[in-house]
Amino acid sequence: MNVHDLKSARPQPLPPKPRNPMPVWVAATLAMLWLIVWDLEISFETLAYGVEDMAEYFSRYGQPDFTDLSRYLYLMGVTLATALWGTVFALLVAFFLAPLAARNFAPNVVTYRIARETLNFMRAMPDLLLALIFVAALGLGPLPGALALGVHTAGFLGKFFAESLERVDKGVCEGVASTGANFAQMVMYAGWPSILREALGYVLYILDRNVRMASVLGLVGAGGIGLALHDTLRLFDYGQSAALILVILATILIIDYASAWLRRRLD
Amino acid sequence: MSAISIQSVSKRFPNGFEALKGIDAEIRSGSFTVVLGPSGAGKSTLLRLMNGLETPTTGMVRIDGEIVDRRKVRHIRSRVAMVFQQFNLVDRLSVVTNVLTGRLAHRSWVGSVFYLFRQEDLGIAREALCRVGLIDKAWSRADKLSGGQQQRVGIARALAQRPKVILADEPVASLDPVSSEEIMTLLREICDRDGITVVVNLHQVDLARRFADRIIGMNGGRIVFDGKPEEMTQSVLRTIYQREGIEDDTSLDMALAYA
Amino acid sequence: MTPALIWRWPTPNGLPPLPLVGGVLALLAGLWLTAPIVEVDFVRLIGSFGRMLAFAGQMFVTPDWEYVPQLLAKMLETIEMTVLSTAIAIVVSLPLGILAASNATPHPVVYRLTRDLLSLMRALPELVWALVFVSAVGLGPLPGVMALAFVTVGFMGKFFAESIEVVDHKAVEGVRAHGAGWLQVRLFAMLPQALPDFVGTVMYILDHNLRAAAILGLVGAGGIGYDLVMSMRLFQYDRLLLIALAIYVVVTVLDRASDRLRSRIIHGRRA
Ligand SMILES: Nc1ncnc2c1ncn2[C@@H]1O[C@H](COP(=O)(O)OP(=O)(O)O)[C@@H](O)[C@H]1O
Ligand SMILES: [Mg+2]
Repeated sequence: MNVHDLKSARPQPLPPKPRNPMPVWVAATLAMLWLIVWDLEISFETLAYGVEDMAEYFSRYGQPDFTDLSRYLYLMGVTLATALWGTVFALLVAFFLAPLAARNFAPNVVTYRIARETLNFMRAMPDLLLALIFVAALGLGPLPGALALGVHTAGFLGKFFAESLERVDKGVCEGVASTGANFAQMVMYAGWPSILREALGYVLYILDRNVRMASVLGLVGAGGIGLALHDTLRLFDYGQSAALILVILATILIIDYASAWLRRRLD
Repeated sequence: MSAISIQSVSKRFPNGFEALKGIDAEIRSGSFTVVLGPSGAGKSTLLRLMNGLETPTTGMVRIDGEIVDRRKVRHIRSRVAMVFQQFNLVDRLSVVTNVLTGRLAHRSWVGSVFYLFRQEDLGIAREALCRVGLIDKAWSRADKLSGGQQQRVGIARALAQRPKVILADEPVASLDPVSSEEIMTLLREICDRDGITVVVNLHQVDLARRFADRIIGMNGGRIVFDGKPEEMTQSVLRTIYQREGIEDDTSLDMALAYA
Repeated sequence: MTPALIWRWPTPNGLPPLPLVGGVLALLAGLWLTAPIVEVDFVRLIGSFGRMLAFAGQMFVTPDWEYVPQLLAKMLETIEMTVLSTAIAIVVSLPLGILAASNATPHPVVYRLTRDLLSLMRALPELVWALVFVSAVGLGPLPGVMALAFVTVGFMGKFFAESIEVVDHKAVEGVRAHGAGWLQVRLFAMLPQALPDFVGTVMYILDHNLRAAAILGLVGAGGIGYDLVMSMRLFQYDRLLLIALAIYVVVTVLDRASDRLRSRIIHGRRA
């Protein structure tokens, strides 16, 4: 088409503007949120009253009481150890389940489905629920907590790993397969080396998450710093509560920076 | 005795496309065969059938008299090595480890999943790397090498398998002319010195003419020519590369004028 | 290197690489040192199998059907808390996300401050905030929603900022070249590009918040969690079975839905 054609072409009416459903969606969302607020019986009076008192309330946390610091640090250590054991457990389970749950590595469809469903199931069980169950079976202490974290996050880690394995280049898989490698050899030579960096990132993320969760597992009797916080809050001991919160906060921030640093090193 | 025997093989993909329509061929042991044909002729599919990467819909492929089927596929592959257009090395592993994957089928998996190899396997890998002239790159990571070097690692991996047959699917299609020449010379030399049967898919008519003992021409999933390089005349090339539904194909004429 | 060694690693000296050995040894040492703290005791673990099985056996009871209406109400409350807190978090996170994105922030100091604020907000788990808010505003779903929204802003703001930081610079230049103002550039050039990422983030957070909301009841912050703990403590296995099942179903449905949506966004409309 040249300039002449353009000039001679009769101006055509614009095609009808596609109707924009956006306002309807926004209205529906707002209506739903309003319904939720109404149904949850959240009264804005309470909230406003709360906000007024909130400043006063939080000021009570103003003087952290560090007299028991060594005990807090020990409890934090228990929490970290619980997270470490949980993560290692998850890593072990995911290491063996993920290749079975990756479509391109799984030896057959049946194992693939079983592995996938196992991972889904582990992921669907909240770790605190699992902790409750394990406490009932094993008694109080950090061990049931570590197990609960392990089972729950094995589901996540296994899914992440499996998805990474499914993205491994098909040619690379065929290259190793064409030598006559079996399932285990395929996984070790074509699989893990190709996704190593991604996998390390996921493990760090899960470790990070497990430290956060381990610090509340104490609430269900699964050891760590969470139980101490629960007790001091129940006794309205704001000074000790503040100290405990600060210890948790500091630890998590340190881990945050450490894992960010490690991730940068890996790239 | 023929190393590879293909008997009335056809291949229909799950999407219904019939890539091979009745192929019969015997490939003599220790020969150098080039499969020539336009893109989509079914060359890769044919080669992949010989290694068990695809299974035939009808007919059968035998390697040294043994039928290639699902149950025996790993045993077959240990003797039938494959070289790919995109090299298909594991990027993050060292050159040596990539070559050592050629030994996997010959060893139990217990040691190999921990990356443990016998001394003799390392010897075989070293020998293979010497053959392809890359012994000084042995410890580099595979993805740090140039295309031509990566393809030579691919050939070293094939050699490490101590195979009866090497299948090469367009091994030089991603390489510059000089590297292409090196790779083809290497494959020819392996065929001559070790008596390994070599089957190569190619695009380049001149390379096929210069290196092959025998040329198989394919078009549209069928074999349209089978003979010595001398017998491949302009009219034969025409049948190999003709395109369906195009009567006066000037592109074809131009391409063949310089072939 | 001894020549008698039959097994060798594919390294110049035949031994595994030092960083790997060091890493594995450090991990094993860490596990060994912390084993007494975590009270890892394999005898106890194996001994508990019997009790685990017994527990699993107790779960095979006729469900307490009378409880179903209350269960549904509590599950609805859990879902409502999830949706409401996520919605609040989206509204708060969008401006914070812009301030915390290095290419959209008005000033590096604002960037640093917002980033630190976000990382403080997400540092403590929801349950800790729920504890604090419960003692501030009393029992019920309100402190739960507050805790969820608070922590979620910390995560969402960071994810939003990261999505904004990777938008294509050329499109932004284009809009700016047409004389768009500060806010217009951010609203019309950056946000639309980051939108697919945002949707993925929101789905991920919804998923996370649902799991969190299901346990907040533990500290009296609304949702199914309270019933869960009570039925556990009172050995009401006929209820526990139903609760666990309900949580499993809802979490799985959302999990699948968000997987589907995410792959649709990543692989285009039809997937
Ligand atoms: N997995 C597959 N599914 C469907 N069709 C395929 C598949 N692999 C190859 N084909 C088709 O089969 C035909 C032959 O392919 P191929 O053997 O790769 O040809 P060549 O290597 O000669 O270029 C092509 O038309 C291709 O599109
Ligand atoms: Mg091909």
